Amino acid sequence: MSMKQTINRRTLLGTGAAAAALTLATPGLVRANTFPDRNFSVYIPTAEGGGADRNFRAFSSVWKTRLGVDFEPGFYPGASGRVGYEIYMGKAEPDCYNLLFGNVGPEVLNWALQPPTFGIDDYIYFGQVDKDPCCLFVGAESPLQTMDDIFAASKTRKLNVGTSRMAHPASIGLLALGDKLGVDFNLIPLQGGKGTVAGAVTGEVDFSVLTSGSVIAAGDSVKTLLVFGNNIAGEALDNAPSINDAYGMDLPEMLSTRAFGIHQKAIDDFPDRFEVLTRTFKESHEDPALMEAYIATKGQPEYLVYAGVEELAVEKQAMLDLGAEYKALLTGA
Amino acid sequence: MDSSTASILVEVFFETIGYWYIIIPTILLGLIVGGIPGFSAANTIIILMPLTLALDLQSGLVFMISLYCAARMGAGIPAILVNIPGTAGAAATPLDGYPMAKQGKGQQALAISFVASCIGGLLTTIIALATMPILARVGFYMHSVEMIVVMLFGISLIASIAAQDMVKGLIAGFLGLMIGSIGTDVVYATPRGTFGILELYDGVPLIPALVGLFAVSEAFVIIEKRVIVTHEGEPKAPNWSDTFEGVNIALKRWVHIVWTSIIGLVIGVIPGAGASIASFVAYQQSRSFSETPELYGTGHPEGLIAPEAANNGVTSGTLVPLLVLGIPGGATAAIMLVVMQFHGVSFGPSLFEDQPKVGYGMFMAMAVSYVIMFLTILPLSRYMSRVTTIPTIYLAPMIIAFTLVGGFVPREYMFDMYLALGFGVLGYIARRTGYHVAAILIGVILGPLLEKYFLWSLKKSDGDIMVLFSSTLGNILWVAFAMSIILPIVLGMRRKRKLEVPAE
Repeated sequence: MSMKQTINRRTLLGTGAAAAALTLATPGLVRANTFPDRNFSVYIPTAEGGGADRNFRAFSSVWKTRLGVDFEPGFYPGASGRVGYEIYMGKAEPDCYNLLFGNVGPEVLNWALQPPTFGIDDYIYFGQVDKDPCCLFVGAESPLQTMDDIFAASKTRKLNVGTSRMAHPASIGLLALGDKLGVDFNLIPLQGGKGTVAGAVTGEVDFSVLTSGSVIAAGDSVKTLLVFGNNIAGEALDNAPSINDAYGMDLPEMLSTRAFGIHQKAIDDFPDRFEVLTRTFKESHEDPALMEAYIATKGQPEYLVYAGVEELAVEKQAMLDLGAEYKALLTGA
Repeated sequence: MDSSTASILVEVFFETIGYWYIIIPTILLGLIVGGIPGFSAANTIIILMPLTLALDLQSGLVFMISLYCAARMGAGIPAILVNIPGTAGAAATPLDGYPMAKQGKGQQALAISFVASCIGGLLTTIIALATMPILARVGFYMHSVEMIVVMLFGISLIASIAAQDMVKGLIAGFLGLMIGSIGTDVVYATPRGTFGILELYDGVPLIPALVGLFAVSEAFVIIEKRVIVTHEGEPKAPNWSDTFEGVNIALKRWVHIVWTSIIGLVIGVIPGAGASIASFVAYQQSRSFSETPELYGTGHPEGLIAPEAANNGVTSGTLVPLLVLGIPGGATAAIMLVVMQFHGVSFGPSLFEDQPKVGYGMFMAMAVSYVIMFLTILPLSRYMSRVTTIPTIYLAPMIIAFTLVGGFVPREYMFDMYLALGFGVLGYIARRTGYHVAAILIGVILGPLLEKYFLWSLKKSDGDIMVLFSSTLGNILWVAFAMSIILPIVLGMRRKRKLEVPAE
């Protein structure tokens, strides 16, 4: 018996509709199993052309080869980075495709001094690209060329000290030093790394404190006298001693840490995607190509150090605690 | 200058000329991005950073410098023709440039602007090259106290503008200063007048305020007319004679170009100071010592020469602290620093010993760019000036669209577009009620800078107000400031008396 197959209009339309539905649904079905399938948006709460920009470009150039998609940065430096966090990242979909690239120390410290509109646990830092300790430095032509010079001068007058902004780990390092030695320093926020270096070099202030990466970049114009952490850069920071070694202190490292962050909700809703991010991040850190890219963008090789969720959570909490401790001094309250 | 330096300079000069194929297209690019509100050499170099990094050191250097110079000059073109100062550095240009365009002298105004810019830029480049070690010291003496007086030179322009209608001028100036105080304070970052809006925490952004007050409000005004030029200044067919007349007017005032460009150079070498300060201070100085101060603001060539020569003087000035001290004098210089470091160049005192060709090469690229720019752009003025004859039904919407995009570009906040519109409405109301938008704008631009230096000075002295008179240079500047206020009044009275004598 033979069956004659005929295609009538109803069959044709039905088959067509099913085929169309399948065609439209297929990419979605495939997408559901592959992550990532499109570029990431990265919200950077600092200006273009700075250290964060350089580090981001170096790291993403390696990371993207593992993920197979690119990273699209957006720079939102407004209100000490809070515009980036609160307006842009805050409104972005928590789907693991929207990431932060921030500087943990100054940004978290800022939250401690001026509470943000979001919950401080709404964002999690999950991957540290690099970290550099803050340091104390003078201009090459400054009459104060040693720490002894500084203490001798501080006995005759209150010294003016440049800092990037009041809410900065370097400011806390200096205040802790002042506490330890009974010296009252006058912090002058010179609005950014450029201004802070210029202030020390031109004599606007007696000396300055800043993240050491920016100080190294200033070259011969400055001389580093003290590091608020371990001097792993050695000669690049004029072999300056650590504050704890020099003055018998127990100060935690005052760090500038550039790290990727993400919405906590994205981690909760898409744990598999988050696993891909953390795994490939760590693999990228171990890739020798990263060191090459980092050095090419004038990064100090010793500062390229990996840290994950747990370590960054500890640093975040440490900054919040320090902010609470020094809030009155840093806000003029 | 020893013979080895001279031979390096000659060698670098010819090498730089050899890069004409980079310089000419870059000049055109710079003029375009400079002319678009919100765009600047700084953000163009950032956008094109992959290209800049891919070029060899010398080509990248020539590209960045040419772009920097051309963008500075380009910003003056829309400021003159359609009252759109695309950057804060061109904010003083339309004060006299745009009235000239409205009188049908757009072509002349452009020629004057180009000559003042090129000669001012070229001259200050040569001066900077010759006196670099001395100029680099300026920043060591010009601290916050001294900068307060410099700011007051610029802000005193409000009083000059107020002279035409004292009450309205001062109200506009104070309104500008109040708007300028919005944002967090520079010491403790306490928000003031922000109404909880995060986008205002960094203060009122300059470009939206600038394009809103000048350009958007102007678009609202010109839409009521057929073309920009007034009936008295009916548009003429493009001709070479207007260009030559503009060149002639500018060259006759060469002393003025030299004087105001040096003001720009000196302000440019101070880290953190910029073209906006320089152009307002130069305009104020030019007006104060002019024999015809009453003509300023009505389309007076000297009122156009001063800001244009000064802001191009700043261009070479910003290179000095970058090359000699390793401190970038402005945003563009900071980005240049990043790019050059990528190529292994270490700025600072050792640069001229280790890589003299790089150091001298940057100035030489600037000088060559100004020469080529002069030759290429001047002929274009006759065509550019036709913009003023475009019917306003097309021009006004284009201005609004361009400026709103320009307001958006620097920070990429939608909020800034609304802000530009808001400032446009404020500017329109101000114009229609006889308040001077320039007085508002001076307050918005210079007010926050004055406050910054004032708070730094007070913080450094633990609140002692006498710190304002604590430095020798500062006190000299105070005397100069007092003289620049008093002398024009005295000279004016004397002129008046002289005029009255023959009548008797």
